[in-house]
Amino acid sequence: MSEITSDSGVMAALRQQMTLAAARQAVAASNLANVNTPGYRAREADFEQTLDGKLGDPLTLTNPRHLAAAEPSGPASHEAAGLAARLDGNNVQIDRELLSMTQAAGEFARAQTALAAKFRLVRYAINEAR
Amino acid sequence: MSTLGSAVRAGASALAAERMRIEVAVSNLANAESTRGPDGQPYKRRDVVLQTTTVQDFDDSLGRATAVGVEVAAVVEDQGPARRRFEPSHPDADKDGYVTLPNVDPAEEMVDMLGAARAYQANLTAIGLIRDLVQRALDLGRG
Repeated sequence: MSEITSDSGVMAALRQQMTLAAARQAVAASNLANVNTPGYRAREADFEQTLDGKLGDPLTLTNPRHLAAAEPSGPASHEAAGLAARLDGNNVQIDRELLSMTQAAGEFARAQTALAAKFRLVRYAINEAR
Repeated sequence: MSTLGSAVRAGASALAAERMRIEVAVSNLANAESTRGPDGQPYKRRDVVLQTTTVQDFDDSLGRATAVGVEVAAVVEDQGPARRRFEPSHPDADKDGYVTLPNVDPAEEMVDMLGAARAYQANLTAIGLIRDLVQRALDLGRG
């Protein structure tokens, strides 16, 4: 967690945020694609959980008989709770998914702007402040 | 990046599926009065069965595909009862003067078509949003 203040730490965090925004986008796109599939349940990206997994201190094995923590491979998703299902068992709401996509796009844009500023600083340093 | 690629592919699979739904609804409407099909029987209303499918992507081979697409599993015939209309002058009327017509309800087809068109639109919007994201990512490499 201490390295978050360093330059590369900030860049890694921003990159992670962009990756997660893209994952939320993918999950929402999947939900939208299945808006007419009978029995399909809307899914949500595990945003906070994945973020904690990426930014938090990595789990270390203190005892050889402990099980190692699973390596988070790609953002996970779970079934969205509290949505009213239609008669065919499908509970996708178009407006909700489009809203989630717009939110994710905003998140992505924010991280991208910050990352671009970081890259500008690096380029500035490479060019000897010219 | 490949996440966005699979998201676009999921959206594209939905566009294909919804277009298929519209095509089927249109052919149902077109044949609402067809009393002779290829088998000599009145046309039977067709219905599209949709099912989820994992998007074929490199991520999928790695076992971490996040996007779920949709595909047309089958186009099935509606086995509902056919409509019957009293029309003794019709060449396909039976001995009581009734014509057996397809089990197509134009209102139902219109509603189906409207729903498919809306879903198509929503998926097109989604693809547009993803394209904006890709564009922004590409902007990072620009001076």
